[in-house]
Amino acid sequence: MNLAEADPKIAAVQAPAAISVRGLTQRFGDPGDPRAVLAVDSVSLDIARGEFLCLLGPSGCGKSTLLNVIGGLLKPTEGAVTVEGAIVDAPRPDKIAFVFQESTLFPWYTVAENFAIAFKYQGAAASEWRDRTLSALKSVGMAGFIDHYPNQLSIGMRQRVNLARGIAAGTEILLMDEPFAALDEQTRMVLGEDLSTLLAETGKTIVFVTHSLAEAVFLSDRIAVMTARPGRIKKILSIDVPHPRLPGFMLEPRFSEWRNECYALLRDEIREAMAIAETAGKETS
Amino acid sequence: MSLTQTGLAQGPARGPFAASTKIMWTRWAIVLGLLLLWEIAARLGGNANLIAPPSSIVQALFTQILPDGEIRGAIALALLEVCVAYALSIAGGLALGLAIGSTDLSRRSLFPIVLLLYAIPQAVLLPLFTLGFGIGPAAKIAFGFSHGVFPILVNVVAGMRNVNPLYLKAARAMGAGSSDIFRNVTFPHMVASFFAGLRLSMTMTMLGVILAELYVSTGGIGHFTKLFAETFDPSPLFALIGTLALMAIVLNELVRTIERRFSLWKESS
Amino acid sequence: MQARAVQLVFIGLAFAAWYVAGRTGAVSPLFLPPLEDVFQALAQLVQTTEFWSAVGVTLATIARAYLIACVLGIGVAYLVTRSRFLTRLLEPVISNLFAIPITLFFPLFILLFGIGVESKVAYGATNAFFPIALNTIAGLSSVDGRFLNAARSMGFTPFGTFRHVLFPAAFPIMLTGLRIGFFICFASVLAGETISSVSGVGRNIALAAELFEPARMFAWIVVVIAAALVLNTLVSMIENRMRGH
Repeated sequence: MNLAEADPKIAAVQAPAAISVRGLTQRFGDPGDPRAVLAVDSVSLDIARGEFLCLLGPSGCGKSTLLNVIGGLLKPTEGAVTVEGAIVDAPRPDKIAFVFQESTLFPWYTVAENFAIAFKYQGAAASEWRDRTLSALKSVGMAGFIDHYPNQLSIGMRQRVNLARGIAAGTEILLMDEPFAALDEQTRMVLGEDLSTLLAETGKTIVFVTHSLAEAVFLSDRIAVMTARPGRIKKILSIDVPHPRLPGFMLEPRFSEWRNECYALLRDEIREAMAIAETAGKETS
Repeated sequence: MSLTQTGLAQGPARGPFAASTKIMWTRWAIVLGLLLLWEIAARLGGNANLIAPPSSIVQALFTQILPDGEIRGAIALALLEVCVAYALSIAGGLALGLAIGSTDLSRRSLFPIVLLLYAIPQAVLLPLFTLGFGIGPAAKIAFGFSHGVFPILVNVVAGMRNVNPLYLKAARAMGAGSSDIFRNVTFPHMVASFFAGLRLSMTMTMLGVILAELYVSTGGIGHFTKLFAETFDPSPLFALIGTLALMAIVLNELVRTIERRFSLWKESS
Repeated sequence: MQARAVQLVFIGLAFAAWYVAGRTGAVSPLFLPPLEDVFQALAQLVQTTEFWSAVGVTLATIARAYLIACVLGIGVAYLVTRSRFLTRLLEPVISNLFAIPITLFFPLFILLFGIGVESKVAYGATNAFFPIALNTIAGLSSVDGRFLNAARSMGFTPFGTFRHVLFPAAFPIMLTGLRIGFFICFASVLAGETISSVSGVGRNIALAAELFEPARMFAWIVVVIAAALVLNTLVSMIENRMRGH
């Protein structure tokens, strides 16, 4: 049974699904190879336009792989991903932008040049990118560093600029792979609020990978909780709170309830992921 | 600042046989394929005065090169010259390096002069060497030495300099005096750097000796290469050079083995 | 400060010894001509047209050889690094071949290209090819995968990826290879000219030795050394400027 179809929220959404994943299985390595890995197993999912969906799961569960397939960086081994009806098997910079865990700003270009490059391949006009760059940087508080080199910024600042670059691309869909993992908790909280505001203002569709439970509950409209490898969707939780979300949300009792529900679902998966990692370690040593 | 670090991106000290089977087979396949292509192309279209097919080369090797006492003598002499020059390079490089690197002042004043000398293209000094040492083995050994001494010298000085200051601090904290520090920290570190320079020194020594041998065309290898080139006799020329190249590879492998043996206890940098 | 003083004293002593040897005849004047004779020969030399045409020939040879080495070296390196299998297959081969002194094959170059300028161009290019190719391979293979990933996600074309990601990332290591390649080219062209040639700087040095004109030979050697030192300083300056972008 398709879990997504059973979810009442999907039925309620009037706009067609922005992203549709059907029967996605992802395997690495040749079929006969004993070291082959089944990363993702028969995942089906519909993500509505303007929705913030979180992929939450233990380490190694295939959530990053799933994100990469959705974004077209990997070709699906089995199954298909469609974005607004068109099949995705290659990057779509006009529709999909990525924000990666580590800053992928090119160290040999200034911040401004990094933005210019991103726009160039999107086909944006030269005149408009400077404005969009400035406004994106302002929204993360980094407008004063537009002519700096990434190495002149701290890791937190770099990641904020990285985030701004993803937003400035102006795409409808934003895929984010643990973008706040390298940041300290305080920066994480502030940027989380900013992201929620951004969602409310722009109506972007965001797919967000994380293994932080609090982050997932605070930011998402729906959380897809995944199993340990091979990754399957265990359950989808609905967080019925409008965006922009306020810091006070974290103090409400239902926040803790949702968080506890996530943990209850994940606890066994986390242990299993640790066991898988340990056997893998034994095999390589 | 070992030469191998500031300069070339040289691979680790792995022999040519450290590869997976698939890669090994592909390489052999490519080599055999190229040899076959060479054979066919040379026989069909090549100018017989310029190109020799591999089969003729092998034939020339066994009929013209190896049986000829004079040629064998020339090769043996060249080998001897390389070995003597290499030994002198090591001894000289070590002695000079230790002397120059011993004090801060001597290093800061003399090392730049060494580096400047290293930057001179020594080939232009070749006629000078023959004027000074004659056209016998002495000139070739001297020229080989003047090439091979530099990598050793530079590495020894650099090795004495680049000791991690953390080690020095730790040693002093443990109460070590300066001669103790030299013996137990600086010297072992320099030795590691020294071994890293051995292979480059061998390559440079060979370079010097061969340049000298080729220049002096009245005897030795230079005589025979000139002879074969001028009479447009490619087969024995290829064969002779092939033999020398083999010698170069063998010597290189020997040094590489020694380097690897001594790198086992060296920390990975 | 002190170091400078020691250096000047050292060099001063060397020249003084040379001067004394010239005066007293302690060393054979065939091997070490008197200092004044060398200066005189040098002054005369730079006024002749033969001097400048020889210098021109050598410089042209070096330039051609270096250009060929750069194009081939970078080209081959780019092609080899397109596939990891290819890199593992070929890089150790190139690296091991580099250990054989190309000088050994010099007579083959003479055989194939004659004793004219072409053989020196080919010889210089072959010598310079290795450090350029090896360093470029090292640079291109060490580009962090996440930058390539990001470029793909932003829709870069293959040329765009090369221009904006691969080349800038590999540039520092490549630059070192280009520098080493240049000086190897410089030295090997001169070596080739000295051993067997009809024109150029190296030929003139060998000729001066053959004709037993040590002063003129030394004059030529001084020119080469001066050029080498100037080039060294120039290249260091250029390299520093390019690195500190």
